[in-house]
Amino acid sequence: MNDYSWKELMAVVFSREIKDTDKITSGAHTEIFFAATMLAQKTHAPNLKLQLGGSVTLCNVVDVEVSELPKTSTGYELIRYAESVHDHPDTFLFYGAPGGARYYTDEDSDLRDVNHFWFADRFFVGGIQADKWGNTNMIGLGKPGKITFRGPGTIGINDIAIGVRDTYVFLTAHDKRRLVEQVDFISFPGKKICRDNEYYGGGPKWIVTPKCIFDFDPDTLQARLAMVFPGVTVDDVRANTGFEVKTAKTVEVVDPPTREELEALRDEVDRTGVLRQ
Amino acid sequence: MTKKRKEVVTSIPDAASKIKDGMTVAIGGFGADNHPMTLVREIIRNGTKDLTVIGSATAGLEIDLLIGAGCVKKLVAPYVGQEMYCPIGHNFRNYVEKGQIELWECSEYILYAGLFAAASGQEFFAWRGGVGTSIPQLNQDLVEFVDPIGKTKKIIAVPPLRPDWALIHVGWSDPYGNGQHLGARFGDRWLARAADRIMIQAERIVPNSVIRKNPFMTTIAYADCVVEAPYGGHPYAAHGFYKEDVDFIEDYVKCSEANRKGDTPVWSDYLQRHVHGPKDHYAYLETIGIKKLLDLYTHPIVSG
Repeated sequence: MNDYSWKELMAVVFSREIKDTDKITSGAHTEIFFAATMLAQKTHAPNLKLQLGGSVTLCNVVDVEVSELPKTSTGYELIRYAESVHDHPDTFLFYGAPGGARYYTDEDSDLRDVNHFWFADRFFVGGIQADKWGNTNMIGLGKPGKITFRGPGTIGINDIAIGVRDTYVFLTAHDKRRLVEQVDFISFPGKKICRDNEYYGGGPKWIVTPKCIFDFDPDTLQARLAMVFPGVTVDDVRANTGFEVKTAKTVEVVDPPTREELEALRDEVDRTGVLRQ
Repeated sequence: MTKKRKEVVTSIPDAASKIKDGMTVAIGGFGADNHPMTLVREIIRNGTKDLTVIGSATAGLEIDLLIGAGCVKKLVAPYVGQEMYCPIGHNFRNYVEKGQIELWECSEYILYAGLFAAASGQEFFAWRGGVGTSIPQLNQDLVEFVDPIGKTKKIIAVPPLRPDWALIHVGWSDPYGNGQHLGARFGDRWLARAADRIMIQAERIVPNSVIRKNPFMTTIAYADCVVEAPYGGHPYAAHGFYKEDVDFIEDYVKCSEANRKGDTPVWSDYLQRHVHGPKDHYAYLETIGIKKLLDLYTHPIVSG
């Protein structure tokens, strides 16, 4: 089945990543992840604890019809999917459970384990640039005092990511301007900075682009090419990346969405085709 | 003898005239929802200058409008845009790139830490998120220090952010300034609590007895000033009343983009059509049209 958009592919890939025992948060302009998480709840993760958007809605859509994939992270539509709504600052106080958020480390157990991940298991961050360390930049291009391109701002990325186990960096295009040796500004720190600062969170797990997925070498803490999307070659990634591309032992090809996955996405979550626009 | 309580209801022009040049003003709401747009437009009509604007944690194009209208000297906001409609506010981007506004670089919780410090009378609030990013480098008011207890981790001290006024849109308010949101509250209670004075823009002013039916719902208590502005959040959504006007927002995005690219007549025309032209709030609503406004209606989402 080739007839799918990049955003639909992303939603399916992320949905596969999500476990029933996860606790996830997703913020502004992350319609792909709204779709991925809702799809996961509807297909294989009915117990997924899910916080969406700035109204701090704790959502479960297992038995709720999703008539339309929300286009904003704040609209009243999201409240229809919510079981609990908080003030936005409470994101940091009520959703993240101090001292314990790594639910069910043993997959066969339904007991909650206590650990050091303060906020959530997974989180998604965008960027106008990302570098080989997984540092991402939403602030802008240029230097302090001489900004040549102003980005959207850090929003709450740095606040949340410090307490999240696996953060997924996603870029909406793959070229040498976006994937660089060193970002101009850091809005979300990569694995090394997270480790140096003794953050609870593990930093970025992947950098995802329309061409491929980088994971991180556990020794060097630098990005390495782990997976390519169907039709993309390693050379293609090398030619369009602004840092030296190292590869994992084997570079896998991501399985395209199955008919069942795509039907579930389109029939149960994204009925109006937001991800195809 | 029973004394009569003081009512704080004022007209929209009287309320907006309390916002003077050079003041620090917090604007409530979040993203595409619950912004006090009638007051924002009236402040622009007054030609108010040199404001320090404190946006919400995800400020929308209400801030972008104030910037493009020349009202803003300094901005405190971790984001200005409208997600899928407009990932980066065009006037925000343009003015920052040209150095025409000063930006207090922050993130959501650094903003809240500053508000919390102001609200609770502390010299600073501490927050770790932001250590290792460029934020402390770009914002000289933030001071990194070493955790005095554990002795190893770096922490950021965030000084108080204290607005002169917080402008908050609510569903309804009584004449004494007790407001209820009837939808998501976002960060409004924190913006209001940090401010010296609170100005409520309500969809409806209701009797005190309505508020007393469910005082648990009161989100903003004892505001200093209340105005009634039905559909006063337009073009953005007001939770429990109406959704955002997508066509209008798309036109805004187009006109503000033209302004960023140097086509200033398009922008001047926009301001004339929607801000300076209509003589008051109701004349503004007439330019939108009754059918459009009614089409935006949504069912109540919580009961008062």
